[in-house]
Amino acid sequence: MANQAESHDEWLKQLAEDSKRKQESFMNGIAQKLKRPRVMEAPKHPFRGAPDFWQSFEWPLEERMDRFEENFKSAGGHVARLSDMDAAKQFIAEKAVSLSARYVIRQNQPELNELGLEEALQGTGASVRVWNSDADENWKARAAEADFGVVVADYAAAYTGSVTVLSSKDKGRSVSLLPTVMFVLIPLERLKTRLGEILIHFDEAGREQLPAGIHFISGPSRSADIENDLTIGVHGPGVVYALLIG
Amino acid sequence: MSTAGAASTVKERADLALNDEFLRKAVKFTTERLRNGKKQASDEHGNWDDWRERGRQIRLHTIAHLDYYLNLFADQARANGVHVHFAETSAEAVKLSLEIAQRKQAKSVVKSKSMVTEELHLNHELESIGVEAIETDLGEYIIQLAGETPSHIIIPAIHKNRYQVADLLSKEAGETLAPDTSILAGFVRKKLREKFLEADIGMTGCNFAIAETGSMVLFENEGNARMVTTVPKTQITLMGMERIIPSWSDLEVMATLLPRSATGQKLTVYMSGITGPRRDVDADGPDEMHIIIVDNGRSLQLGDPEFQELLNCIRCGACLNACPVYRHIGGHAYGGTYSGPIGAVLTPALNKNVGEWDDIANASSLCGACYEACPVKIPLHEMLIYLRRRKLEQGHGNAAESLGMKGFAAVMGSARRYSTLVKLGKLGQKLVVRDGGIRLKLGPLKGWNTYRVTPSLPKKSFRDQWGTLEQELRHGLQELDPAVKSRMEAIMRDRDSGGGNGHG
Repeated sequence: MANQAESHDEWLKQLAEDSKRKQESFMNGIAQKLKRPRVMEAPKHPFRGAPDFWQSFEWPLEERMDRFEENFKSAGGHVARLSDMDAAKQFIAEKAVSLSARYVIRQNQPELNELGLEEALQGTGASVRVWNSDADENWKARAAEADFGVVVADYAAAYTGSVTVLSSKDKGRSVSLLPTVMFVLIPLERLKTRLGEILIHFDEAGREQLPAGIHFISGPSRSADIENDLTIGVHGPGVVYALLIG
Repeated sequence: MSTAGAASTVKERADLALNDEFLRKAVKFTTERLRNGKKQASDEHGNWDDWRERGRQIRLHTIAHLDYYLNLFADQARANGVHVHFAETSAEAVKLSLEIAQRKQAKSVVKSKSMVTEELHLNHELESIGVEAIETDLGEYIIQLAGETPSHIIIPAIHKNRYQVADLLSKEAGETLAPDTSILAGFVRKKLREKFLEADIGMTGCNFAIAETGSMVLFENEGNARMVTTVPKTQITLMGMERIIPSWSDLEVMATLLPRSATGQKLTVYMSGITGPRRDVDADGPDEMHIIIVDNGRSLQLGDPEFQELLNCIRCGACLNACPVYRHIGGHAYGGTYSGPIGAVLTPALNKNVGEWDDIANASSLCGACYEACPVKIPLHEMLIYLRRRKLEQGHGNAAESLGMKGFAAVMGSARRYSTLVKLGKLGQKLVVRDGGIRLKLGPLKGWNTYRVTPSLPKKSFRDQWGTLEQELRHGLQELDPAVKSRMEAIMRDRDSGGGNGHG
């Protein structure tokens, strides 16, 4: 096994050398076809991002909530406005009972650690697993069998009705993807108007700070591939609750 | 007879497509749905032309400095821990992909939608080394089971009805599934769940690649692209070399234009930005990630004043839905990976063989609807004229082809000769039809059937249904933009008076 791993690494190293050589000729070829020398310095990009009139566009909070709800619902999602985290806990617990959920998986986020979902679900027959809380567990399989996945949004955009979730050690990409039902909690201060207000953070953070997965989610998984007939829940969660909190 | 005149220049392929009543209805219905969705979404968004112009500027800027941005992307992706590769030809891209699969001793590859892998016929190649390649987009999965290729860039199984889909899936399930879309989709969900969890490799295309951070971006509705990039241990992404945008801020413009133009959505259900493989501490995502940057004819457009803007294309399919010719003949008639107006220009441009493909350039009324639909304002209708001119300049009007054209024109010009030929075809095909399709790779069907199955001629032919089609066409034309309509009418008058381009 060790030998195999070593030879695989060597092979990758060989590929990397080939690739770097190829990269030079590739770029030189492009410059040649464009009939000018290679561009080595960052060119001035006068059209970066959305048009100017769009950059200052912002809705007041109440309208952001209304528009988010409208857009998320029209994509087939559900929205509930809740006064605080306690109400969110109650909401999820009630759904667990009414939908007979048995397996719940949640991110290991501070807001969820404080939520007390575990206690609220006691006696309902549902058990709660916390993502990546045990190094020996197969977490993808645990997420795949889960009825409920519970996550807290990093951002949300009202204009498109989207939530944004970022991956980390404590925040699995699978938790918002593999369970049948997904709950995404959105603290109101994270609800923006435009996508651009969220995307700019990734430019400002820079490469080294970015997580492996950044996912914008705008409703339940859907397809219209058979006779244009809308089908919900093809691969990802078929039922999605966005809980606006605050 | 102006429509028949236009169809006659796409030879057998359009004829085969026009013979299929369901295809014609499905294409019409779907393209209209998508077109109306786009119109509604762009109207509602407002300032649509300002956004198109912005999109065009960003794409123009990036392509004009492609050496800088692509180089930056490759360096940054490598710094993220991605194994970046460059492939000048489709053969090189295939070789790299197969080598990775073999090194990983992969038994199966789950794929999300990728037009580049269609260009490479990669599924076919993977199967040839004993690796199962599974398309996981619902529509792509269906046509893979049918052994066909996509007929629409956004709705690949546009030409299949739910009874045909139920038959295909029932065979796979080993039990009879009702022709109910939710039952059929439910079966696929369960079946592909197993495949995602077992697969050694996840393979994706790439909608956009962000140069400054080395990230790749995928737009999708089903969640299968997320599956493919989250569950398997190895990820391979095949990316056209022109997919680059400079920054995440630029992504806002693309995210505004692409879903609205493709399906009329404000945003696809999932938009994912993947920056490198799984971090050491993460519990999901691939351990090893490869990005193969593919040229395969793209760079031929660089520095060509007439065709460089082709590289601005964001693959939304809006030009297909807007095109009166596509709406009547469907995607398979175009014979290449890309269909519709973009395919009519891109296929010969990528293959650099104007002579062979120019008949497709004639499958256009030059009405300009494609340009008006294009979210990055590619002047496709003008490019179609350049293609026709280049064909003449290069002296590609060769004898064999003229003869073929003349023969075709002769057949199309006489009702009796045509129906005799179709009758002959119906008889003749009995020798070669298997399972409702023609898999013969001889004579005129060689190129066509190498990677696809020619549908058999139906009992009721296109010509039998001409009355209905003509009515629909007239009705369809009334819905057109008045300016476009008047242009089309002018072209038709021109044709009637024997002018125009002299084809058909």
